[in-house]
Amino acid sequence: MLLRCRVPLASFELNIDVSFEARITSIFGPSGSGKTTLLDAIAGLRPVTAGEIAIDGTLLFSTGKGINLPARQRGIGYVPQEAALFPHLSVKQNILFGAGRGRRTDTPPEIQLAHLLEVLEIGGLLDRPVTKLSGGEAQRVALARAVLSRPQLLLLDEPLAALDIGLKERILPYLGRVRDEFKIPMIYVTHNLTEVLALADWVLMVQHGKLLAQGVPKEMLRSMTALEEISGDQIDNVFTATPLDSDPAGGTSRVRTTRGTELLIPCVSAAAKLPLQMRVGADEILLATEEPQGISASNVLRGAVSSIDFIGGEAMVTVVSGEEFLVRVTSSAVARLGLNAQSSVYLIIKARSFRLV
Amino acid sequence: MNFSFETWHITFFSLAVGLASTLLILPFGIALAWLFARREWPLKSIVETVVLLPLVMPPVSTGLILLKIFGRRSPVGQWLYDRGVEIVFNWKGVLIAMAVMSFPLLVRSVRTSFAEVNPRLEQIAATLGASPLRVFFVITMPLAYKGIVAGALLAFSRALGEFGATILLAGNIPGQTQTLSLAIYNYVQTGKDSDAYTLLGITVALAFLFVWSSEWMIRSGKNA
Amino acid sequence: MVLGWAQASARGDEILISAAASLTDVLKEINMAYQAKSKHTVKFNFGPSSGLARQIDEGAPADIFLSADLPQMDVLDKKDRLEPGTRKNLLSNQLVIVVAADAKLALSGPQDLLKAAIKRVALAEPSSVPAGVYGSKYLTDEGLWDKVKPKIVPVQDVRATLAAVESGNVEAGFVYKTDAAVSKKLKIVYEVPVEKGPRITYPVAIVKASKHKDAARDFLNYLQLSITKVTFKKYGFIVLN
Repeated sequence: MLLRCRVPLASFELNIDVSFEARITSIFGPSGSGKTTLLDAIAGLRPVTAGEIAIDGTLLFSTGKGINLPARQRGIGYVPQEAALFPHLSVKQNILFGAGRGRRTDTPPEIQLAHLLEVLEIGGLLDRPVTKLSGGEAQRVALARAVLSRPQLLLLDEPLAALDIGLKERILPYLGRVRDEFKIPMIYVTHNLTEVLALADWVLMVQHGKLLAQGVPKEMLRSMTALEEISGDQIDNVFTATPLDSDPAGGTSRVRTTRGTELLIPCVSAAAKLPLQMRVGADEILLATEEPQGISASNVLRGAVSSIDFIGGEAMVTVVSGEEFLVRVTSSAVARLGLNAQSSVYLIIKARSFRLV
Repeated sequence: MNFSFETWHITFFSLAVGLASTLLILPFGIALAWLFARREWPLKSIVETVVLLPLVMPPVSTGLILLKIFGRRSPVGQWLYDRGVEIVFNWKGVLIAMAVMSFPLLVRSVRTSFAEVNPRLEQIAATLGASPLRVFFVITMPLAYKGIVAGALLAFSRALGEFGATILLAGNIPGQTQTLSLAIYNYVQTGKDSDAYTLLGITVALAFLFVWSSEWMIRSGKNA
Repeated sequence: MVLGWAQASARGDEILISAAASLTDVLKEINMAYQAKSKHTVKFNFGPSSGLARQIDEGAPADIFLSADLPQMDVLDKKDRLEPGTRKNLLSNQLVIVVAADAKLALSGPQDLLKAAIKRVALAEPSSVPAGVYGSKYLTDEGLWDKVKPKIVPVQDVRATLAAVESGNVEAGFVYKTDAAVSKKLKIVYEVPVEKGPRITYPVAIVKASKHKDAARDFLNYLQLSITKVTFKKYGFIVLN
């Protein structure tokens, strides 16, 4: 899918050509860079004075040709920051609100309600009044509502911004599931680096309405962290793994990640949903040039440095040990250890640093 | 106090015409309030001001304007008269006076209710494929309806209390255009104090009932 | 204090006269002549006699009351609001039916009020205002009251009746002959013969609570002078002896 957008908005101009073979495209930038404005323009919720917006060659808006499709005809779903569920309708009525949308030939195939409810784990909420939902439940319902209307494109405006950290981590996988199960292209606006790294296949970096760069998230890391407001953020490594065995008395479980790395993490209950999603912060990993002895950390992995990015006094070191690990240390540490690409290092990670999502 | 047949007739007449007047202005009031709350358009501020005038001007001034518009010697009045429609000194004059005086109250109240509906909800509904009519009736109205009912109640009680415009436009004709307010004035002027007090009691009771209900609606709307 | 009273005496008093609305124009003209001759000043309060009587009863500071009928004066008399010995019957009047000057209706008598072309008839409040009391009594005596009543638009006083007929919103109205003369936008279509119509009497009296009785007496005397009677007749009033 190709999105072309050339639109002057308020005080700046947006000029974006994006190809969506990628399933989740993230638009990343600090607040005020026009991200919500862009989504509103694409969805047809904001009057636009000039320019063009087209999807796969179909014009949604064009001043030249005098076209301005109203929002309801664009087939674009929208999940806003604050869920915006209809407070006077039940959860079920909210979800089904857009389900009757008329068929267009290029809409995705029928989405089964039951499947959707299962994927987002909201089946039990159907008759609950909307005002009695928690923040995370509301976001999932909003997601279901948008998905069920079978949009050709799904826009998400910082959907996790209003949630606290713990909740964010729990909702993130649902977004991934929607991507995997329903195959709707998504544009995901955020200023949170972790979300980009966790979800996006492609990222557009936007500042002051201009597209600065675009590419695969991991390769864009340095540029993204260079944007203001970001450097303080926690950057997480996110892995998917299956449990191998458990040692309750010892307090650990052994798991294997998708790329075959074995890790020890805190004990996983038998009822945990598989596959496991876990994360560990880039700030929580230690590097050593020699294998440490007599150390409490349960995980000591041998790996190779694949790249080092310096930003001011910080260094982001990418180490491959089966999986790719992002490790953030000070620039002086890198100098002290004499690290460079190709260096052999040991990753030291406490079991308890891994958080299950 | 003196509850004669006349008393009940006057009360019933006032309530009936008041109700008719409120029902008459309801669709226009809702439509205009929505246009005020949700749209920008040329001359909007002028229309807003004109709509508000009867609320601010002395009622007799409004009554005089209406008399000039609908009187027999004006083009409008003559046109209507030729078609057999009389407004001046007629219950229709009461209806118009009530409608014009209570209209601004209704519009203000409903406009506030619409403005309090989060526009994001309407936008999301549109992205989900809802037509503007569906958005209005399924999203906007149900969320605003408590304010609309409160506004209608307020307008109704204002209509019942109408005097200045009514007496000029419709006259104080017993049995034909005499409302509660006009009757009280008449009884006081002619020394029928006991009858006046009866009607006074009725008007106070009605006003209390309506204002209380209106406030209750607004309060329960906020707690929802 | 004596000096102050003497000063006031030298300056003249201000008196307030509550008078029937039908006397508006004639009393203003009489007052202009009076002011030239007297050191006292006169202020007027015109309105329906019923309303004026009520005001005085409630304590309004009128010095003289000039009513358009006897019942309103009687009300105050019974309540002992009048200065004894000052009550007199001053004037009489004639009732007429008027229509707008440009109206095409022809009325030859009160029975023509029943015609379909007459939709509305203006009349001062028939239960209390003298002009209305006279008018309704007249129509009752003619056996027409029940049929005309549904067409009646009760208004505040004769001046309001004039305005209603002039505006064209009513087809006809009952006023005093003296009122009809004042307005150029009306024409008289029927004069109720004095013998057939109700006896119209305008009594006058000084209010007991008045604080300016001497000045009031002075004006009252002036009202009965020959020269003043000429003015009353000029306006169409009938002067009683």
